[in-house]
Amino acid sequence: MPNEPRGAARAAALALPLLMWACALSAAPPNPAAGETLYRRGLLPSGEPVQATREAGATLRGADAACVNCHRRSGLGSTEGRITIPPIAGPYLFIPRGKSLEQQGVPFVDTERVNHEAYTDESLARAIREGSGANGRPLNYLMPRYQLDDAIMAELIDYLKGIQVKPAPGVTSKELHFATIITPDADPAKRRGMLDVMNQYFVDKNNAVARTKAPTLYSSHAMMFRVERRWQLHVWELTGQPATWEAQLRKYLASQPVFAVISGLGGSNWGPVHRFCEAQALPCLFPNVEAPVGHDSDFYSVYFSRGVLLEAQLIARELAEAREPIRRLVQVFRAGDVGEQAARTLQAARTGSAQQIVNRVLKAHGASRDLDAALRELGPTDALVLWLRPQDLKALATVPVTTSRVWISGEMGGLEQAPLPASWRAAARMAYPVDLPGRRVVRVDYALSWFRIRKIPVVAQQVQADTYLACGLVSETLNHMVDAFVREYLVERLEMALDHRALTGYYPRLTLAPGQRFASKGGYIVRFSEPEGPRVAALSDWITP
Amino acid sequence: MNVRTPGIVFAALMCAALLGLGAAAAATVSRATVSYETPAVMLVREDGKRVSLPHELDDGRPVLLNFIFTTCSSICPLTSRTLEEFQHKLGSEAARVHLMSISIDPEQDTPARLSEYARKFHAGPEWQYYTGTVAASLAAQRAFDVYRGEKMSHTPVTLLRAAPGEPWLRIEGFVTPDELVDDYRNLLASLGSPARAGR
Repeated sequence: MPNEPRGAARAAALALPLLMWACALSAAPPNPAAGETLYRRGLLPSGEPVQATREAGATLRGADAACVNCHRRSGLGSTEGRITIPPIAGPYLFIPRGKSLEQQGVPFVDTERVNHEAYTDESLARAIREGSGANGRPLNYLMPRYQLDDAIMAELIDYLKGIQVKPAPGVTSKELHFATIITPDADPAKRRGMLDVMNQYFVDKNNAVARTKAPTLYSSHAMMFRVERRWQLHVWELTGQPATWEAQLRKYLASQPVFAVISGLGGSNWGPVHRFCEAQALPCLFPNVEAPVGHDSDFYSVYFSRGVLLEAQLIARELAEAREPIRRLVQVFRAGDVGEQAARTLQAARTGSAQQIVNRVLKAHGASRDLDAALRELGPTDALVLWLRPQDLKALATVPVTTSRVWISGEMGGLEQAPLPASWRAAARMAYPVDLPGRRVVRVDYALSWFRIRKIPVVAQQVQADTYLACGLVSETLNHMVDAFVREYLVERLEMALDHRALTGYYPRLTLAPGQRFASKGGYIVRFSEPEGPRVAALSDWITP
Repeated sequence: MNVRTPGIVFAALMCAALLGLGAAAAATVSRATVSYETPAVMLVREDGKRVSLPHELDDGRPVLLNFIFTTCSSICPLTSRTLEEFQHKLGSEAARVHLMSISIDPEQDTPARLSEYARKFHAGPEWQYYTGTVAASLAAQRAFDVYRGEKMSHTPVTLLRAAPGEPWLRIEGFVTPDELVDDYRNLLASLGSPARAGR
């Protein structure tokens, strides 16, 4: 990671011992990738799983024994219950006793205990192999004792020494640079609504920074000042075909490094953005995406929910539990819209069921009268799933209802504002991947009041509330990070901060953890209560499929 | 939480520093005999069945109960490994003890994820995993005094009970498999006749 040098003398002082250490190993030059593979995946250069034991004789191997499980990807440690897992990024291991983190130019992390002797390569190897700390005392019971030969031990230590804890690109002494990403197929109204919120949030944030005067009392604690940086927003608008987006994003990032991407707005394809964030090790926090890509095993992208893909799982569950037989499952969606991905997910979830699955694809921007043809020849033993937008739902008014088993997408249709004609309201159930209106009202009102006071027009309520929530979550997480501006640490602290969050907007609960990248896990199945208007009633409890 | 005062930061740093200093001690294990009232909540077992917590606890067998979540990467793998070893060390006797692990992250821990987790720790048929609604999991956590505000604050607690109606042995900290076998045997012995507790 590129960083401004803190002075040639200091660089030389740092480089000399590293150089000497590297020379000592010149017979077998260290392979940093081997150290990283061991740290993150628990694998030895041979591909064999690493073996470790605990004090009481319990054995661990491979991924279960990987350092990353406890010390995390950042190397800055973690806290679980009353157990503090210390940082093992090089600078923390080699701080001489009696020196403060600040004197060493090392950021404060609340997992660091500054009361240990500085490790040497030898004492560090002993700690890893035998579980005794730099002062000779046994390490916590959680710390395994690893069976490593000298060569891989050197590679692991080399990796630990190389873990960067200096401010990431996009962080200067005065500013924190953030980006937000908008794809060309994003809805223009939502785009405006999202940017209004973000721009105002950054203005407010910077006004608060400007007002904060650090009292003299803390003047010796330089790091107290360092956290108050101005937030700078860069809007990365993509153009053209999705195949070109990753290159555009790399160009944006090269010309203006950013610490993280906050929020963002996608259309039907977020894949290139997701891949870019993972490849560039850039946190992409809570974009407004209806069909997120990626897996829980990814690291840098986190989403509020799986959106329409979650809806597909909710509907699959309903179909699996249907009391009366369903002969056919007919799905209707427009080519290229997110309904296509939702339909695919539902189809995969129903594979193996006795139902025949038929997908009826409407033209990408065709007329709503296409619906007539798509909905022909449906009978009462058919289930119909409509992955459609409001204008298509409105057009259902002229189409007769021939089955009582109809599901629509809340995410695509506009939740309780979906313009579903009265004739369809008795038959149709809606997948509803957020909290019920009556239950979320207080949490969402908090955002709405903020918009009202700042005269921000509400044009896309959920997108705007989610954007406001994303900004708030990043701000809150940064407060916990003090001056450790490491991108991986941002994601890890966000995971921890989320459980404490009371104001969760549209979602009843948000939680993340290592291996959890979608913060809200469930949804309801609802039905309109009246022939007109937005009143809905839940037909299910909160379901987490 | 957009505006922060240096005073708050300072206080937070001081607290964090003190906690950090205090956490250096090696793991210690403490034991206490405690009575708990089992809440009448419904949970979902890893086989997808809805079951009553009191019914699962009171099937006549000795019970070992703990609380986990499957994406917990540091404490839970260790406590789960300890239970695996415990079953292994008991050998054929393992079938007489009901092991129960309740998820404290029930929305993430679906029955399918719990089954996968159980396989990873070679859980025998007498070791079962439970999820359910957030409210049900919270009620269970509160009843056994393991609720610590959120999942990342949880602490290693193992609860052992010789038979329905008997008090619980609460073990806090990283108990080893050997110690756990001793605790189990002592608990049964204290009942007078092991057959009384067995099925």
